[in-house]
Amino acid sequence: MSVSITSYLLVALILFCVGLYGALTKRNAVVVLISIELMLNAVNINLVAFSKYGLYPAVTGHIFSLFTMTVAAAEVAVALAILIALYRNKETVNVDEMDSMKR
Amino acid sequence: MDVKDIFSYDWSYLLPEFIILGFATALSLLDLFAGKRLGKSVIGWLTLAGVVLAAVFVFVNIGKLDEPYAYMADTIRIDDYGNAFKLLFLGGVAFTVLLSLSYMKQDEIRHGGEYYYLLLTGLLGAMVMASSADLITMFVGLELLSMSSYVLVGLRKHSLQSNESAFKYIVSGSISTAVTLFGMSYVYGLTGTTNIYEISVRLSEAAMAGYEFMVYAGFAFLAVGLAFKISAAPNHMWAPDVYQGAATPVTAFLAVVSKAAGFALVFRLLLIGFFNIQTDTRFFFDQGALYLAIIAGASMIIGNTMALRQTNVKRMMAYSGIAQAGYMLVAFAPPTILFFGEVTFFLFAYLLASFGAFAVIMVVARDQQTDDLKGFAGLYHRSPLMAVSMSIFLLSLAGIPVSAGFFGKFYIFMGAIAQQSYVLAAIMIATSVVSYYYYFGIIRQMYMRPGATEAPLSVPKTIGALVLILALATVVFGAFPGLVTDYVQTHLNHGFNFGDMLPPNFQ
Repeated sequence: MSVSITSYLLVALILFCVGLYGALTKRNAVVVLISIELMLNAVNINLVAFSKYGLYPAVTGHIFSLFTMTVAAAEVAVALAILIALYRNKETVNVDEMDSMKR
Repeated sequence: MDVKDIFSYDWSYLLPEFIILGFATALSLLDLFAGKRLGKSVIGWLTLAGVVLAAVFVFVNIGKLDEPYAYMADTIRIDDYGNAFKLLFLGGVAFTVLLSLSYMKQDEIRHGGEYYYLLLTGLLGAMVMASSADLITMFVGLELLSMSSYVLVGLRKHSLQSNESAFKYIVSGSISTAVTLFGMSYVYGLTGTTNIYEISVRLSEAAMAGYEFMVYAGFAFLAVGLAFKISAAPNHMWAPDVYQGAATPVTAFLAVVSKAAGFALVFRLLLIGFFNIQTDTRFFFDQGALYLAIIAGASMIIGNTMALRQTNVKRMMAYSGIAQAGYMLVAFAPPTILFFGEVTFFLFAYLLASFGAFAVIMVVARDQQTDDLKGFAGLYHRSPLMAVSMSIFLLSLAGIPVSAGFFGKFYIFMGAIAQQSYVLAAIMIATSVVSYYYYFGIIRQMYMRPGATEAPLSVPKTIGALVLILALATVVFGAFPGLVTDYVQTHLNHGFNFGDMLPPNFQ
């Protein structure tokens, strides 16, 4: 029994929306970064699903998802480094308090 | 493809990229082993040498290249479109390095070496973005530039504002990366390939086979995600905070190089990828152009009105940059046949004026210890050269005649009229008039307000020379814009095919 492409796309879309919601509403900076990872993983599900069930199935999708994973890992490493630097100056990971520049 | 094939390519066309890569690697090793013994500025000057060398080879490529040269199924495609943008990036980074050489003396950035080779890796990312015709390489180039700039923004480690702006930048940057990738995944799903020329053909087949909705969704996701890099309307909110928090040379880098790279990517990806789609009407010139026009109009309105209430000069420049992104999108929604010339000239004028303005802002802000607008009060009496040059840059940004910026805007305006997008043209004129108010706000401070001090402003020699050259160039190219447009037309765009971006059989 094979699962249809629609289910995969739906899962990815839901995951993407959950991630976007989390990234925009959560107050803890680490949770924001985790939510962004959810969004990027939604992309990977899409790519891998499409590379088997897309209009033109091809292995390129797998390759692309390897690239996105690598880049996402690098990105989150940079983000955590910046967060640590921020934490040293202002002991908070609360996004609401990062407001020294207004208007 | 076996190994032999890889060596059968003529790799000499990639020399500019290899030089930048080589300099970035060599300088990081040099900094690691001899960083303490070398003076701080040695690495800066070496960076500048690398950038100039790469620019020389870009000119060699322009002379040598009659038709586009593609590596490995267009993953990297050397064409005049890419070369024109590369020259803009290289010029921008050269100016950034010159600004940084003087900025570093403030001792705020303790990692001088890292600073310079991060600039180089960012430049490499921008160059890859400008010359790739494949989703994967585009994405990798985009991320290489983004990640270098995230670190550059946060490099003033002990300044809270810098940390904060870097964090805001990386969070909003990652969200928009995810949105872009989501769009790319839909485009990939409908086409099964990452080569944008094949995508162009297959997307139109997909649209005809009843997948229009997915095509539209892909377009919308891509446009929204990529709007981040050019700081256009739905994704512009990061710009003011990041511009304010970053070191001034980095701000100039983001305002010009990063934005130009974003445009190079947006134009190539959206234009080629969605060019062939035809359902009832031509999608790109109808719904697609409408969507981009809304983004352009919103950026012009938001940028120019929000800039009115700013008292911090760098924030004001950020909003002004959002408005400039809007002007540039006007040329693209929809493009005329002269689109390539319009955009390259506009970016060229913007490059001159922005770097000049940021150089003056840097000197004044350091002297007054504040980015506030008040710091400019009485500048004319303290340093007439700086005040007059700053006025020229601001007039150019505002688009007032006998400055390069005027012709940049004029060409785009005429293009919009030719495409009968009268609403956009009207918004462009109206918001330009609004923008005079805040540009002249600075001029008013410089000439008419008494400053806190009358002491002559001390201007470092490199900055003084740079500002003088940029001001002269702004005036000269404002009086003779043909110098640039003719060069672009004869060397870069002789077939009116957007610098060989379009393949010959494209209709």
